Amino acid sequence: MFKCRDVGQLLYEYVEQRLEPPVSQQLEQHLADCPGCLAFINTYKQTMRLSSELRCREIPPELQQKLRSFIKTKLSSPRPSLWERLRFRLTGG
Amino acid sequence: MAVASLDEHELIKQLRAQNEAALGAFMAQYETRVFGLALRLTGNRQDAEEVLQDVFLTVFQKIDSFRGDSKLSSWLYRIATNAALMKLRKRPRIQQIPLEEELGPAMTEEGMIAEPVVDWSRLPDDELERKELTRRIEAAITQLPPDYRSVFVLRDVEGLSTEEACEILSLSEAALKSRLHRGRLFLRKQLADYAVSRTAAPSMMQKTGIIPPPTASPKATARQEPSVPLRGTAAGGGINPGPRHV
Repeated sequence: MFKCRDVGQLLYEYVEQRLEPPVSQQLEQHLADCPGCLAFINTYKQTMRLSSELRCREIPPELQQKLRSFIKTKLSSPRPSLWERLRFRLTGG
Repeated sequence: MAVASLDEHELIKQLRAQNEAALGAFMAQYETRVFGLALRLTGNRQDAEEVLQDVFLTVFQKIDSFRGDSKLSSWLYRIATNAALMKLRKRPRIQQIPLEEELGPAMTEEGMIAEPVVDWSRLPDDELERKELTRRIEAAITQLPPDYRSVFVLRDVEGLSTEEACEILSLSEAALKSRLHRGRLFLRKQLADYAVSRTAAPSMMQKTGIIPPPTASPKATARQEPSVPLRGTAAGGGINPGPRHV
């Protein structure tokens, strides 16, 4: 029989839908009888949902402009300085 | 020129030639993602702006060295993630987060949950409440150490697949899982502490039907969820009345 501890250990795989169907069903059976585990899973999923709402939907137009003029200036300059080359190496291309 | 209409091979060719239309289309396609990623990783607008500019410049200048071992977008995200983490690592305050066991509900020796868990997952139907919870996550993300933050942001905020996130971060799936799960548990706990403290307010009580215990003060913002009697909580099941963390 499934215990709360088992639910805790399989929580990630369950949410990621990586459990075998029979195991998943057993887990859900436990959830039906255990308000604590159900509440925990619900709030874990809600945390994920709210996190996805943080995704940036648009970039400020002035920033787009800035990016384009920055790129244009840099790419048209003849050769990166030693400092620039060092910096690229550091930012890990 | 729409980037999507070019196949990747052709796009890379155009970028190498510094074709202006291709450069512009490439930026248009990815600038929002890169900026958003940088913003969440650094937690700082100024840093995110710098990362945005540096990343595209790096990509355009180093496209010759791109060998095509991964998708072009994965390479781009990898450069962006590294650049953002570099900014982050310059800052001194990097803290540890609690262990997985301390972030989940307390268990009895028999392996059953020791204390009722409040289900606040329905709270965010309310627009303002939802905004506040989102703001709380935003703040909590900045408390995650960089290794946890990068995994969490790529997967749960940006919505990339496990495979792609592993590739970008050069992580095994097991390492990704352990960090992501612990990061999520940490954020859930921050939200839970907040949401439960809010249940003391009468308006919230009506919305959720959660009745605060007589001992819970409205200012209960302690680091643990107070044990709130939950409707339909089954008796038995190894419920331990002891004051343990949830």
